[in-house]
Amino acid sequence: MALRNLFARKRPPDAELDSELGFHIESLIREKIEAGKTEEQARREAALEFGGREQVKEDLRAVHRLVALDNTVANLRSGLRLIAKAPGFSLAVILTLGLGIGANSAVFSAIDAILLRPLPFPDSNELVLLHQLDHRAENPNQFIAPVRLLDWSRRNGTFQAISGWYTEDVSEKSGALPEKVTEALVAPQFLRVWGVWPAIGRDFSQQEEHFGGSHSVLLSDRYWRRRYNADPSALGKQLRIEGWSFTIIGVMPASFLFPDRDVDLWVPNPMDAPYGQDRNSTWFTAIGRLKPRVTIAQARADMAQVQTQLGRQFPQSDAKLSVLIDPLKETIVGGIRRSLWVLFGSVSLLLLIACTNIAALLLARATERQREIAVRFSLGASRLAVIVQMLTECLILVLIGCTLGVTVAALGVHTLHNLAKTIPRAEEVALDWRIVLYTLVCAVLATLLCGCIPAILGTRRSVATRLAHASRTQVSTRNSLQWLLVGIQVSCAVTLLIGAGLLLRSFQALARVSPGFETAHILTLRISGNWGETTNFKQLSARIDRTLDELRTMPGVRGAATTAMMPGTTGELTTAVRIVEKVSDQSRKIVGDSRWVSNGYFDTIRIPILAGEPCAAGQLETALVNHSFANAYFSAGSAIGNHLDLATNPYHNPAARIIGIAGDARENGLDRESVPTIYWCISAPDPFPVYLIRTQSNPMAMAAAIRRKIHQIEPSRSVYEVSGLEEHLSDSFAETRLRTILLTLFAMTAMSLACIGLYGTMSYFVTVRRREVALRFALGALRGQIILRFLSRGLLVAGCGCLVGLCLASGLTHVLAGMLYGVSALDPETFGGVSVLILSVAAVATLIPSIRAARLEAISVLRDE
Amino acid sequence: MATERSDLLQGTLDMLILKIVALGPVHGYGISQRIRQISQEILQVQQGSLYPALHRLEKRRWLEAEWGQSDNGRQAKFYRLSTKGRKQLEAEEANWYRLAQAVGLILQTGH
Repeated sequence: MALRNLFARKRPPDAELDSELGFHIESLIREKIEAGKTEEQARREAALEFGGREQVKEDLRAVHRLVALDNTVANLRSGLRLIAKAPGFSLAVILTLGLGIGANSAVFSAIDAILLRPLPFPDSNELVLLHQLDHRAENPNQFIAPVRLLDWSRRNGTFQAISGWYTEDVSEKSGALPEKVTEALVAPQFLRVWGVWPAIGRDFSQQEEHFGGSHSVLLSDRYWRRRYNADPSALGKQLRIEGWSFTIIGVMPASFLFPDRDVDLWVPNPMDAPYGQDRNSTWFTAIGRLKPRVTIAQARADMAQVQTQLGRQFPQSDAKLSVLIDPLKETIVGGIRRSLWVLFGSVSLLLLIACTNIAALLLARATERQREIAVRFSLGASRLAVIVQMLTECLILVLIGCTLGVTVAALGVHTLHNLAKTIPRAEEVALDWRIVLYTLVCAVLATLLCGCIPAILGTRRSVATRLAHASRTQVSTRNSLQWLLVGIQVSCAVTLLIGAGLLLRSFQALARVSPGFETAHILTLRISGNWGETTNFKQLSARIDRTLDELRTMPGVRGAATTAMMPGTTGELTTAVRIVEKVSDQSRKIVGDSRWVSNGYFDTIRIPILAGEPCAAGQLETALVNHSFANAYFSAGSAIGNHLDLATNPYHNPAARIIGIAGDARENGLDRESVPTIYWCISAPDPFPVYLIRTQSNPMAMAAAIRRKIHQIEPSRSVYEVSGLEEHLSDSFAETRLRTILLTLFAMTAMSLACIGLYGTMSYFVTVRRREVALRFALGALRGQIILRFLSRGLLVAGCGCLVGLCLASGLTHVLAGMLYGVSALDPETFGGVSVLILSVAAVATLIPSIRAARLEAISVLRDE
Repeated sequence: MATERSDLLQGTLDMLILKIVALGPVHGYGISQRIRQISQEILQVQQGSLYPALHRLEKRRWLEAEWGQSDNGRQAKFYRLSTKGRKQLEAEEANWYRLAQAVGLILQTGH
């Protein structure tokens, strides 16, 4: 019944009002005539007694009009008016909501695109990665020989297709200058596994996939646009790659970024090439598509059986191997999953704080408007109508905040696209209708959270009717709900602050770590080569040595060397070795990180030689070990002179003699302790090692000169990945840095919001207690005492919130454990520091209104009441 | 006899209207007459307050209204008490007596 009233605009027509009032006046006149007056007199007196008829009609219309305010449109209008009347408050609410909802939506759209949505391939849950495991090797996960891949592909019963790839950086020479391109060499049925076909042109034919067939290449969309300006007549043109001509037969769609975002070309790798028949070679990363409705467990069992068969057929190479299968999606997003959920948690906490803040402010406002609400009641509105009106005001604010939020979310998504390098699948994040729906749901929840409680509490009829009669406010209103809200805010802020504090400290600790090698003044670069060069090792070594020698003659260059792996970046380099002299002593497994370095390495990056000598030019079959390795496996000083070789030595390389001991360095990553390491002396571990060049001045300043020099020496090769070593190492911190910055931002925002909440609530608290304060002054209290009372109340709430926050944090920080360095998840300094911070900030926030309270003039307050 | 007209607070007016209407359906003029008579001319309601109050009470569904014929043959709007109205009247009456008793007790002290 009451609800129907909300939408009806029932107003009795004027004629009815006239009729009703007319009847009254006529009856009055008749009464007077019966009492003996003349008609003339009676009319006059009646008119006087009745009062202005038009006035009464106007009042009646006002009654009906006020009731018609139950109507939503009128509600909205009055809501807008109220918002305009308090611009500061409204702006604060809109901004808070906009930021909170926007951030939430952006992060949710990231989670949706990266974690929840399937990969952009047909039936992507059928895609799996296959790995080859050799349990005896230290690094069990290996690349797969082409012949084995073929065997797997032919003998399985659970896959639609199995294929594989590997990438190499090569020189493309059909343009004016040789250009480095990333080429993916793929096994047959590559596109069939992915289920994606060229946007223009065609897939490779059977003939092209065999050794001796015509050379064809598929372009990536990005390369096609860059090189050929998206011209479809590029099909049929030729590319010159490392000495061969390739015909362009098609272009892949823009969304196809596999196996790697950077791949420019796909070229078929013939499985029947004579140089690829060795079962021990390690070339491919394998990927397969399961048959429909086949489970991974079934596939695992099937492949285990296939490999057992192969093991029996080829015991030397295959008996020790097993097959590992992982869903593709897990491999791609697994790493970032935790970060995303931590982010989502933080953003949600922030939104919660924002909503409680707004709720507290609205509650304060509702209590201020008690009088207005009381008047509304006495003019005939129902309780539901008043609540709906207050909720409408809240809804308007929330909707405006929502629009702002969608804008913020769009910005956030745009930023994510720019971060695509560090975040997998970031290019797939988009703002779509589901996200907008999610935003609206957030908004509605926010309205209910913020608006309901104040609206219901503020319209309690008992309070309202009492106020309508009384002219003074109650002396002791209990603000327990508002203090509770503030307490919640403080605890959330404390949790976020502790998280941010831990990450910050961890970041600082990382920065202070001494790497054990010098990172300044070193230029790093790579020069293109191709795997075919490994057939003639002598020639390859000679080429690289020559390049090194020429580089060393340049003025401004203080040293040059090559290494297989960039120092300071993490890699899986653990190898099991044997000490030839101690081979009879089988008690311990000997493991170390393997690094392949040329002569001049230790000098170039300044790793000290503790004993013996560094690698010498042209001297193969030598190695150095670092201090940790020498200590672990040799008694003092006796390492030099021993011989090392690989525990599993399929190619029967000769053992290397240890000629020196090097100092420990954090070459495996600055955030890890240094590990036992073996430095094998070889300048050409693969056709494209990393060149390290020590320069006298700023390394990048010499980059152009060095490029020119290399072009002189090797005109057909391209130079790429040129950067200073310092920049390179700091890039590897990019994700950590981003995480730290974001969380710190959230924590700061949370703290500010909690502050505002404290200040606002305390302000209101003080205002309400004006009379009490004035009375106390009149009774002789000191200013200091008043301030102390309020301050202690504020600090009590802040203290309780802090305590709760500390408990919450100690429960939650273990989530961050994997991201911390040098600081434990329960670091007492951080916990203590945050507590002090929040209590001092709370003290300031409550002090200001308290001082204001103490400045009240007792008389004027009491007089005002 | 100098009768002083007392000002009626709005809530009290509502209560009196409900009480009068409880005795039977009546139109606005009838209500104002009865209040005068029963209170012995102490209370006189201004029409400017009476009719807004009546319409308000009707909107709140404490009174139900119907057009009917008055005893002099003319059309008039008759108000009668609804069930909700009856409950409201009982509550307000109880409240009033409690209040009056409390005030009376305080006034008695010291004299």
